[in-house]
Amino acid sequence: MIKLQHVNKYFYRGEPREVHALRDISLIIEDGEFTLFSGASGCGKTTLLNAIGALDTINSGEIYLDNKEISSLNEEARTQLRLNELGFVFQAYNLVPVLNVEENIGFIMRLRGLSEKEIKERVLEVASMLEIDNKLGSLPNALSGGQQQRVAVARAVAAKPKIILADEPTANLDSKNAKALMDMMRELNEREGVSILFASHDAYILESVRRVIKMNDGAIVDG
Amino acid sequence: MFKLIIKMAWKNSFLRLSRTLLVITMIAVSMSMMIGIQGLYDGMTANMIDKNKRSDSGDVALYEKEYRVEKELKNTIKNANEIKGAIENRAGVEAVVSRVRAEGLASTARKSSFAMINGINLSEEEHFGVFSDFLKEGALSLEKRDALVGIELAKTLKLRVGSKIIFSTQDSSGEINSLALKVSGIVQTTNISLDNSAIFMDREKLHAFLGTLPSEATQIAIKSSKEGLHKALKLKYPELDVKSFLELQPMMKQMQDMMTIFNSITFFIVMSVVFVGILGVMYVSVLDRIREFGIMLSIGMQYRYIRVQIFLEALFVGLTGYIFGATLGAFLLLYLRDYGIDLSAFADAMQSFGYETTVHGTIKISYFTTTFLAIMSASFLSVLIPLRKIKNLNPIEVIKAEK
Repeated sequence: MIKLQHVNKYFYRGEPREVHALRDISLIIEDGEFTLFSGASGCGKTTLLNAIGALDTINSGEIYLDNKEISSLNEEARTQLRLNELGFVFQAYNLVPVLNVEENIGFIMRLRGLSEKEIKERVLEVASMLEIDNKLGSLPNALSGGQQQRVAVARAVAAKPKIILADEPTANLDSKNAKALMDMMRELNEREGVSILFASHDAYILESVRRVIKMNDGAIVDG
Repeated sequence: MFKLIIKMAWKNSFLRLSRTLLVITMIAVSMSMMIGIQGLYDGMTANMIDKNKRSDSGDVALYEKEYRVEKELKNTIKNANEIKGAIENRAGVEAVVSRVRAEGLASTARKSSFAMINGINLSEEEHFGVFSDFLKEGALSLEKRDALVGIELAKTLKLRVGSKIIFSTQDSSGEINSLALKVSGIVQTTNISLDNSAIFMDREKLHAFLGTLPSEATQIAIKSSKEGLHKALKLKYPELDVKSFLELQPMMKQMQDMMTIFNSITFFIVMSVVFVGILGVMYVSVLDRIREFGIMLSIGMQYRYIRVQIFLEALFVGLTGYIFGATLGAFLLLYLRDYGIDLSAFADAMQSFGYETTVHGTIKISYFTTTFLAIMSASFLSVLIPLRKIKNLNPIEVIKAEK
């Protein structure tokens, strides 16, 4: 469970250009949710996602992950938290270009120090679920955009994180690939029980999720 | 995980192939030149030392206590043959020669010059220092009145093979005596003192001329690489003046030190170039992949793994450059050792400093070990600035920048 209490975040760009990016956000996200943060560009949805993902710091308030306060952790502890508890899917795929699909999917599991046998089994399982098991030996630059994003999702899912944070995952995909990706992520959510939080204004995501949290000017207005 | 990091480092090292090859070539060429120059410098000094040892003092030389202060015939080693025999039997002694030497005046019909006559035994000298190597002109003969003359003395007196000279000196009884000699050959030892003034004649005949006994000698020279011989002989013969080569030729020690300084300066310059080269490549390579590192940090990769990866990348580039450089350098040293560089265009200058006109290189393992350590150090140091860039990287900035 994720719990946010009175979270505020400011971006300082010199007086008087201080931006209040998150305004007194309080929120609870239960385990296994399939949730979208939606809103216009600049409304704070990515900032909120980054704060939940321990990628960004906040100025006030608390963020709890399974009752553990995470916003006050140091950089080392935040990195460890991202490695062990969270999964990320970015707009630009961000695969390691010199590693093949199998190595990219197994990357986080290797960072966690899992055994090679365990990694191989899990990679195969996730790759076949996302229909990229025939591409395991390929390098990322030999894949299409949709395939690369599926590898990025597989990398995030394979290590069995508690939460997956996906920031505009369909932004670089055509409608067919976007729909396919969302179907797969929904299936993962249902089958693996992993919470998935999106930040997007894509219609396909809006149609697929079970909960929509609308944001405007750094504050939650609905959801 | 470490296996994966090694794989990533290896692949990233050669991702921009032309850039990496350029640095590897730069390292290899700089390093081989560095090794070649070191070999050449050392070769020049070693050659000079070797010729000086072979033509004169050897590794250790014995004199009568006063001889080096007052070079007169009263200061000879009286029981030289006995001492020589005893030293020859010592373990580690390769060769021993005894010589008799007197200073005097060498004259031709038109010119005269200071000269130093050396009584030698050719077969002993051949065994001691391959004397035949020094012959530049004529024949290696000390028969009858034959004499061999140092190349610079020959120039001063305008002597050629077959020329006649008169050598005058004070004999052991204090009388001034003269001896007529015929130049059978001209020798070049690259020992400046000998080349400028030496006349070599048969030792027994010189004894007869000087009135000294065949058992006497002004110098006993020993060839031996055995450690501690000098000290042992000093203890054994306290009544004699026992000197090591470097004690007799302090200039050679200075030359060695000077060459070491030259080598160090050249080494520093070359390694600085290598350092800047690797730094440039690593810095550009890190900047090129800054987003990749940001993403790695954001998905939970610890900075220490990235640091290992970057170090390995620099290591692979440095190591590959080193392997090529060491191979090239080894071939260059082999060539310099076997064929040398002909500097006869600067013959006069070279000879006046005691160098041969063809300079040969030496090969030492230390050339390869020191450059290895230097290149590895340069590789590691060169990634410190790029690593600082990654350490200060905020993953959020990278993620924002991609949008």
